[in-house]
Amino acid sequence: MFTGLIFLAVIIGSIVFHVWTPWWWTDIASNWSAMDNTIILSFWIGGGVFILVCLFMVYCIFRYQYKEGRRSEYKPEDKKLEKGLTWLTTIGVVALLAPGLVVWNNYIRVPDNAIQVEVMAWQWGWKYRLPGQDGKLGASNNRIISDDNPYGLNIDDPNGKDDVFVESNELHLLKDRPVKILLRSIDVLHNFYVPQFRSKMDAVPGTITYYWFEPNKNGEYEVLCAEYCGVAHYAMRGKVVVEDEVSYNKWLSEQETFSSFTAKNRNNKLNKKKFAKINNLSSDKNSILKEQDVR
Amino acid sequence: MSDELNINKKTKYKIKTKSSTASGRGETDIDYVRPAELPEQDLYHGHSFITKWIFCQDAKVIGVQYTLTAVFTGVVGLILSWMMRMQLGYPDLFPFLTAETYYQMVTMHGMIMVVYLLTALFLGGFGNYLIPLMVGARDMVFPYVNMISFWMFFVAVVVLMASFFVPGGPTGSGWTLYPPQAILEGTPGSGYGILLMLISLSLFVIGFTMGGLNYVITILQARTRGMSLMRMPLTIWGIFTATVLALLAFPALLVSSIMMTLDKVLETSFFMPTIIKAGEALSYDGGSPILFQHLFWFFGHPEVYIVALPAFGIVSDLISVHSRKNIFGYRMMVWAIVGIGALSFFVWAHHMYVSGMSPWFGFFFATTTLIIAVPTALKVYNWILTLWRGNIRINTVMLFCLGFIVTFVNGGITGIFLGNVAVDVPLSDTYFVIAHFHMVMGIAPLMVIFGAIYHWFPLVTGRFLDEKLGKLHFWITFLGAYSIYFPMHYLGFIGVPRRYFEMYDSPYMTSAVGMNEFISLAAFIVGAAQFIFFYNLVKSLRLGKPAGKNPWKANSLEWLTPDVPPTHGNWGEKLPVVHRWAYDYGVPGAKEDYIPQTTAPSEVKDAEVEKT
Amino acid sequence: MSDLNLDKLPGGFKGMSEDIGSDQTTFKGVNWGKAMMWIFLLSDTFVFSCFLVAYMKVRASVVEPWPYPSEVFALEMMGVPVPLLLIAIMTFVLITSSGTMALAVKYGYEKNRKMCGWFVLLTAIGGLTFVGMQAFEWSKLIFHDGVRPWGNPFGAEQFGAFFFMITGFHGTHVSIGVIFLFIFARKVFRGDFDTGRRGYFTTMKSDYVAIEILGLYWHFVDLVWVFIFAFFYLW
Repeated sequence: MFTGLIFLAVIIGSIVFHVWTPWWWTDIASNWSAMDNTIILSFWIGGGVFILVCLFMVYCIFRYQYKEGRRSEYKPEDKKLEKGLTWLTTIGVVALLAPGLVVWNNYIRVPDNAIQVEVMAWQWGWKYRLPGQDGKLGASNNRIISDDNPYGLNIDDPNGKDDVFVESNELHLLKDRPVKILLRSIDVLHNFYVPQFRSKMDAVPGTITYYWFEPNKNGEYEVLCAEYCGVAHYAMRGKVVVEDEVSYNKWLSEQETFSSFTAKNRNNKLNKKKFAKINNLSSDKNSILKEQDVR
Repeated sequence: MSDELNINKKTKYKIKTKSSTASGRGETDIDYVRPAELPEQDLYHGHSFITKWIFCQDAKVIGVQYTLTAVFTGVVGLILSWMMRMQLGYPDLFPFLTAETYYQMVTMHGMIMVVYLLTALFLGGFGNYLIPLMVGARDMVFPYVNMISFWMFFVAVVVLMASFFVPGGPTGSGWTLYPPQAILEGTPGSGYGILLMLISLSLFVIGFTMGGLNYVITILQARTRGMSLMRMPLTIWGIFTATVLALLAFPALLVSSIMMTLDKVLETSFFMPTIIKAGEALSYDGGSPILFQHLFWFFGHPEVYIVALPAFGIVSDLISVHSRKNIFGYRMMVWAIVGIGALSFFVWAHHMYVSGMSPWFGFFFATTTLIIAVPTALKVYNWILTLWRGNIRINTVMLFCLGFIVTFVNGGITGIFLGNVAVDVPLSDTYFVIAHFHMVMGIAPLMVIFGAIYHWFPLVTGRFLDEKLGKLHFWITFLGAYSIYFPMHYLGFIGVPRRYFEMYDSPYMTSAVGMNEFISLAAFIVGAAQFIFFYNLVKSLRLGKPAGKNPWKANSLEWLTPDVPPTHGNWGEKLPVVHRWAYDYGVPGAKEDYIPQTTAPSEVKDAEVEKT
Repeated sequence: MSDLNLDKLPGGFKGMSEDIGSDQTTFKGVNWGKAMMWIFLLSDTFVFSCFLVAYMKVRASVVEPWPYPSEVFALEMMGVPVPLLLIAIMTFVLITSSGTMALAVKYGYEKNRKMCGWFVLLTAIGGLTFVGMQAFEWSKLIFHDGVRPWGNPFGAEQFGAFFFMITGFHGTHVSIGVIFLFIFARKVFRGDFDTGRRGYFTTMKSDYVAIEILGLYWHFVDLVWVFIFAFFYLW
């Protein structure tokens, strides 16, 4: 009796908690409301199954408690019932899976008008690179990263000349314009995650991964690293600002391009050489460096 | 051996087929069981204290040794979890909890609980104790190898524990040990800690392989007369399938451990791409971190079922015995176990939806993952249908089974969230995942372990555990654990990422503070409640109520030994002969409400048995 | 001792399902040790598969050029580099030792103590030759060509890493096999298997079936070598 009541209380408590919970997702700020909807769908179907199974269990506890001398029913199998349950479950599973696959299909197909943004993760922080006027990012290689070339860009690639460097944790994005996030990492695994955008993907050193979303609400959002990356993982935060075209363009014009960055560096070359001599480095080595040379 | 097989020229196959088609033709016919195929097992009986209790070849003693060692590591894991909860619930209150120690605790807690507690306890502990008894063998087929298996495991545990005392401490790379960070500066314990972890895992795999071969061969080749595969208790089916999974999945762990050890020691670049640290490129080049993840999860996902399948099997038996009813749909239960086991090799990449692997894999692995939900759901239905129209004893064992059903269904359903690729995107790497896997492969199997210990303690020691303390233990554990992990899902919805040492400066996360304090408090209480259980174990060992033979009125063979507790060799003079499956409870027409497996059909002629 | 007559068991699919459905043993007439070796080899297959799949994955995705095997593994014979000469001989020796092992098993079943012992010994020597040649190959690669696990002069550094790891792992298998072959040769000659002498550690009775079990292991090691040969030297 007592047992059944407590189990019943647990089930009712779970439902009440779910309905009244103050802990729920943050307001969505991207196009991925379909993900939220599939979660809700999963809640209805899954939660329904949970409640039914548990209620049936509680019913059994009440109804069939041990009585001396009573015999339980002897029925090893019930083909019809088993078959019915199998089909019912299969239908439920299909109902969950199908929308999930549709959403995933959208998630991995980036729209053509998406702006490319490179997110470069390092222990422990974020840097960003935007394509310049040409809308194309220049080729890059972690191997040739140096103080002169913080993104390891291929000097010979013309696409890279006008790339915009954002060497801070803060990234600005245009409202209502799809963004293709290209993820790079220079050391370990990271994951560029903004809870309000719902989407995420790991940054893997050695390859470039991607995902896309369309921010649709102005505001400032916190970037979290969602893949364990060492001792300061929890402190690896960044900031995304979603804004309208005017303020976005203003922000963009304040950023440095690759060519202006190198020009600035050239001015410092004299100092650099001195520095290099002291530190036994060759300051312009990176321009002629090829993979094999570095061992 | 082959010459022995040819000694007897006459075949009994004809008679066998006759007896199966024409049951009830005569008493000699219906009791017919094929004669023994194998000679009696040649056993080594220990004489000294050392050969009887330490380097012992008796599977039952080895099982207890496994259990005690695993429980010891479990207590270490429990204490680590307390310290983690201290940090999460009350950040900055304990100055000795730095980010380094926190991550080391996370890692060690995870690895200990999954591998050194659950795997070792289910397969090493329950497997060793129950397999020979339940299939009617005198011992494991290779007792000596079995003994080595335990001592290998013991050494693995010692090596693991040693990592707490080396410079730099144990590894803090998360239990998944993802390279590159696992072996780089910037992760605590990236020196000796990770090496000892990898060595310990390799030793565990080697030790387990020895034990696992024993379990598989004992079940396949050393059953007693009349014990066909489809008469085995589901416990044995669960352990058997899990062992096969382990034998095929652990190789991937061994290989990834070897490769990562080489990456660490010889600076090879299996998993290590070009890495820039402090502006300088390290000597690594061209490796693939994702390759490690594939290898790891090819082990890691079957590992989930290595823990779950024995739990499924054991809980089926416990529910059946204590609701005095045959397990509903035995055949389907067996096929579900085997099917889940087979499918579990094709779902591993659902842990990697957002890992940067080719996104096209997502479709395949989401589909296979959700297919697994079908046999799993069927098992749940069959458990509750076993309760239905039963005669349910509400004792501690049954309580733990009921607790298992609730937590398992809850955790299973959140598993469907995470397996469904698009739903996983916002939830992966958040507290939702933590809540899910603790519910489904932490609490649920633990419920089964506790239930099983309350159930089989009378067999092992001859005495009952204290029922009052047991119920107290259950209610605190179940309600406490449920109130830890059920609300934790909602932290994940907010978006709180896992493996965060502290998190509260984000505006939308401040509401989580109160919940974290609550969860921590619940965790302290649940942890403390386990000491009621340990007290109960120790107390009942001396003062428990004597159980006598077959105290639960169970059918399966382990309760039918001539001596209780069973002695070395299990069966005295003669091996038992099995005439039926292990679930003849409440058979109409029978005198008692249970018919043990050894009861010949002629002894219960009036019973209307449907399945044999 | 046993009422089982293997010849009279039904064959084919029906026999298989009857065996699986029967009591006591699933594989009729299969010795415990033999069954255990089969399952172990299945598990070991997964180990080698993981190694080889990892190798294929990395080789397919690595950016730097993979060293050309027929040049790296060439041997200078009278001033002419002969590709894969040493490997060919090694493979030949190992396959031959499989043949001698098979003969040892045959004589073991005939309880022909002398012949069985000699063939086991011959197999052991074959295995030892293989390990020796592998040691020669390794030292040539390390000291002469400068191939290291962490780099080599020919191209992608994973070449050395995978080569040493996989052939080393296989070589360890062969070496363990050789040790057991020598031990078993001694046991055969001493007559352990005829008298059923009890093992020193295990206290189990010795039986000629042990030779067959060891043979299974040995054939497996040879088979794995064929795959390594194909994937490493011929690809």
